[in-house]
Formats: sequence, C-alpha cells, structure tokens
Amino acid sequence: MPISQAFFQRSNALLLAVGIAVLIVIVATSLLLTAANERYFGEVTAARAVRSATADLLSLVQDAETGQRGFLLTRDESYLAPYDAASSRLADQRLRLERAAATLPEITPILQRVNSELDRKMSELAATVEATRKGDTEAALNLVRNGTGKRLMDELRSDLSAILTISEKELREAIEAQVTASARLRWTTIIGAILILAMAGAASWTIIRYTRELVAARREVERLNAGLEERVRERTDALVKANEEVQRFAYIVTHDLRAPLVNIMGFTSELEAMFKPIEAYVGAGATATLDQKAAAEEALRIDVAEAIGFIRSSTRKMDGLINAILKISREGRRELRAESVDLTGLIEAAAAAVHHQASAEEGGGIEIDAQVPRITSDRLSLDQVMGNLLDNAIKYRAPDRPIRIAVRTRRERRGWIKIEIEDNGRGIAATDHERIFELFRRSGSQNTAGEGIGLAHVRTMVRNLGGDIAVRSDLGKGTTFTVTLPPDLTAYRRSAEA
Amino acid sequence: MTNGKPVSIIMIEDDEGHARLIEKNIRRAGVSNEIIPFANGTDALSYLFGADGSGAVSAGRQLLILLDLNLPDMGGVDILEKVKANVHTKRSPVVVLTTTDDSREIQRCYDLGANVYITKPVDYDGFANAIRQLGLFFSVIQVPETP
Repeated sequence: MPISQAFFQRSNALLLAVGIAVLIVIVATSLLLTAANERYFGEVTAARAVRSATADLLSLVQDAETGQRGFLLTRDESYLAPYDAASSRLADQRLRLERAAATLPEITPILQRVNSELDRKMSELAATVEATRKGDTEAALNLVRNGTGKRLMDELRSDLSAILTISEKELREAIEAQVTASARLRWTTIIGAILILAMAGAASWTIIRYTRELVAARREVERLNAGLEERVRERTDALVKANEEVQRFAYIVTHDLRAPLVNIMGFTSELEAMFKPIEAYVGAGATATLDQKAAAEEALRIDVAEAIGFIRSSTRKMDGLINAILKISREGRRELRAESVDLTGLIEAAAAAVHHQASAEEGGGIEIDAQVPRITSDRLSLDQVMGNLLDNAIKYRAPDRPIRIAVRTRRERRGWIKIEIEDNGRGIAATDHERIFELFRRSGSQNTAGEGIGLAHVRTMVRNLGGDIAVRSDLGKGTTFTVTLPPDLTAYRRSAEA
Repeated sequence: MTNGKPVSIIMIEDDEGHARLIEKNIRRAGVSNEIIPFANGTDALSYLFGADGSGAVSAGRQLLILLDLNLPDMGGVDILEKVKANVHTKRSPVVVLTTTDDSREIQRCYDLGANVYITKPVDYDGFANAIRQLGLFFSVIQVPETP
C-alpha cells in the first residue's frame, strides 16, 4: 500500500501524541511512586527511631538497676555513678520514645503502662538507694527481696519488647511497601520505555517507507521525463498520419460529392433551355410550324428524358456516397469490445462462407495454415476484415485460372499477430497500392460492381484495432494482404491512452 | 483546329453526366471535331498505347486529351505521366479538367507536362462558360501530329 502524504502526516502526528501521552503517564506515575517511596522511607525511619529509643530506654533502666545493685553490695558511692547517669538521662530518653511513638498510635496504651512502670521502678530504686545511704542496709535489702523491683523490671522488659515487636512489624511492612513501590516504578519505566521505543519504531518505519516511496516516485518521474521526448515524437507522428488521412478523406469526399452536384446543377440548367422550344411550340398554338413541332418533340422525348435520367442517377450516387461515409464514420465511433477470440475458428468460418465460390472450378480452393489459435480483440471487426479480404480475393480473380487462396497466421516479435491472405488473382499495379485503401477508389478494369469502400473500411477497422494493413502484389500474378494486429486490444488501448 | 487531318478529342472522364455536359458545351462553341469518350483509365490507356502498350497505335494521330484526375481505376496523374513519357503521345496537348483545386496537384500536373489545368466550377453557368471558352480555345490552337 503506498503511503499518501495525508496518511503520513496524520500517522506521524498520532504517534507523536501517543508518545507524549505515554511520557506524561510515566512521569506522573514516577512522581506518585517516588512520593510513596518517601512516605515509606519516613515510616521506616520512624519505626527505627522507636526501636532504638525503646532499646536505649531498657538499657538505661538496666544501667540504673546495675548501679543500684553495685551500691547496695559495696555501699561505695562510686558504684552509684551508672544509676545517677541513667536517672539524669531517663527523662530525655522517655521524651524521645514518646516523640518517636507518635507515628505508631497502637503502642500508645503500652507506652502509658511503661511510663507508670518506669515511675514505680525508679521510685523503688530511689527508695533502696536512699535507705542504703542512711545506713539501713537491711531495709534496702528487704525492699529488694520482696520482689517488687524484679516484677516491675519483668513487666518493663515485656512491655518494651512488645513495643519492639510492633515497631519491627511496622519496619518490615514499610520496607516491603518500599520494595513494592520500587518494583512498580521499575516496571512502569520499563513498559514506558518499550512503548516509546515501539512508537519511535513505528514512526521511523513510516518515515523510511514514505521516503522510499518519494525516492521511487522521483525515479519514475525521471524515467518518464527521459521517455517523454520519445513519446511526444510517437504521438506527433501518429497525429500527423491521422491528420493526413483526414485531409485525404475530406478531399475525396468533397470531390466525390461535388461531381454529382455539378451534374444536377448542369442538367437542371439544360432542362430550362430544353423547355424553350416546347414553350415556343405551345405558345404558337395553331400557328406552329412543323419545325417547331419537331424541335419540341425532340426536346421532350430525348433531351428531357436524358437530363432527368442524369439528375436521378446523380442524386442516387450522392445518396450512396453519403451512406458510405456514414457507414465508415459509424464504424469509427463503434465501441470496440475486447474479448478472447478463436482466431482459427473465425478464419475457418469466413472461408466457409465463400468456399462454394472458391471451389466452383477444378483446382480452386482455400487453404488455411493457422499457427496462432487465439487473439484478444473485437470479434465483429475481425469478422468484417476477414470477410472483406476474402470477398475481394474472389471478386478480383484472374479470369483464366481457378482461384487459389491461402490464409496464414503467424506470431511476430513482441507477440504481434500477422494474418496473410494470399491469392492468385489479377493483381494490383504498383502505382495503386496506396490508392486501393482510399475511399471510393478502385484499381484495374472496372468489370465488377463495387463502390470502392471495402478496403477503406478494412483499413479503418484494422487501425482501430491498433494494427495496420499492407499489400504486396504483382500485376497479373496475385495479391497478398498482410494484417498485423496487437495480441491484446485492451493492453494496446491502455498504452495508447497513457 | 485547322490542320489537314481532323483532330480527335480524347475525353477521359468517368462521370457520364460530366462527359455529356462537356460535349454539349464544346459543341455550343462550334467545335465539331470527333470526341472519343472513355469512362475509365484502363480503356483510355489501351486506346492511346494499344494492346502492347508501346503507343505505336497513336503514331500519325492528331490528339487532344481532356483528362479528369479522379478516375475509378487509376489516378489521372498516372495517365498524364504515361502520355508525356511516351514518344508517340508526348506532344499531344493535355487539358486537365477536374474538380480538384489543390495547389500541389496543379503544380504536379504542370511539372509532368500538362498544357492546361482547369478546375470544374460547381455552378453550372461557370462550368458551361469554362467549357465554351475551352471550346473556343480548341478551335484556334494548333495540334501537332504525333510522331
């Protein structure tokens, strides 16, 4: 399918529009997914903060407990350093956890519990440390022994580990979401890239094909340009030939129509003159002389009859000429119908129609040597051409010998078909070889009836079929008509119209 | 045509009507010479050149040829050419009397040796007048005896 300019522009615009749309979708999706990624990243950071704050808090409480235990055992103030440090940082640490936990509402209740546990634990630790400082070691140990501190510590551990578990779950989910979002982003990019590549490919294909067609069209134009001169020359030759034929035709027609016209006008004037003696005789009435009577009688009986005879035959002749011209002109206008014709069969049928005339004498006959079985042409024209040529061969026979006619069909170069009709008739003088094809012209002695139309008609038909007719003849020996025809009328007409 | 031997007018004209009208008008001009009509070229040539085509039959004749160019069986120009090429007939005056007024045809006829070329007028007054004048012309010209 050739690409039209409109199709090319439309398809390219469409591809461009689709490409831009795909690009917009990719950018929008990427922005959305990046935003989601950032959100998930925030969640991950928050979960990590919760985890580390929780762990630090536990470690602080443990530090405080460790310090308390050391002090209880040694009553040395220096062992109390971790406890003091933990106590002083505890408030900060708790604040840090609370802030971090703000993103995770589900741990708020646990956090409240942790806060109270922390308060109680720290007051328990503070009570034991205070008792020890006062020297009441026993009371401090008792406080430790009653297990409140251990229980609080266990509760703290369990609650903090619950917070850790939740935060880790959150962390895992956030990371998973992040991974999913990344994967989506990747796929979006890949699919988008493929789509854009496909569209770029399609656009390139269209452009390349269009360009190729442009190049091919330009080559064709160059080729046609090169052949143009040749074609113009051929057409001009054909036109000159056609023009000459028209001129000759017009000349013949005017001459042949003028000749009877001269007769009609001439004998009409003569008639007028002939009536003078009659008028004189009639005018004289009873006084008419014998001479007047004789002159009037002669004019009436002989001259008038002769004049009327000539006028009548001239009008008949004119009528015949006009009919002949009409016939040829109609033949020229007739729509040719190209069909596959059985050429051999057609020639056999035409020969059969005149066979009885040809073989009336001993030794006469028609011989057919057909080597081209079929032709694509107008059947009616071919029928008339063959019929006319065979009729002529019989009509213009040599009176002293039996008629022998040979019809040959041959294939020529470029598939053209040559039909030869050869007879042993009276022949045509070399000076008349062109004249016989002219309208109303005949050759040789006029001992047979004829109007001089047949061959003119045949040539018109053969030329209409794209072919030509030629004659070869020796006066007194015989004549060969050669008809050359294109093998396919439709192909011929196409190239003639091109 | 005042020679000792009577001059024959050879009229080669395919149209019988034309032939009759020409004859009538020549007679009206007072020409009483024998007019031998031929309706086609073949018969005329066989009269002029004989069966053998040598033209010897015309030896000693005094001929004036009236020739129409458009004949059914051959071109009048061919007859003119033959007449002017034959030793026995080449001096006979040839008057081409035809409907054609094509200038190339006229030139060609004079080139080939035609003595007079007349175009037949279509209107009868002109036609009759032309023929009568031709008849008057015939009555004064000298026609040589063919060798």
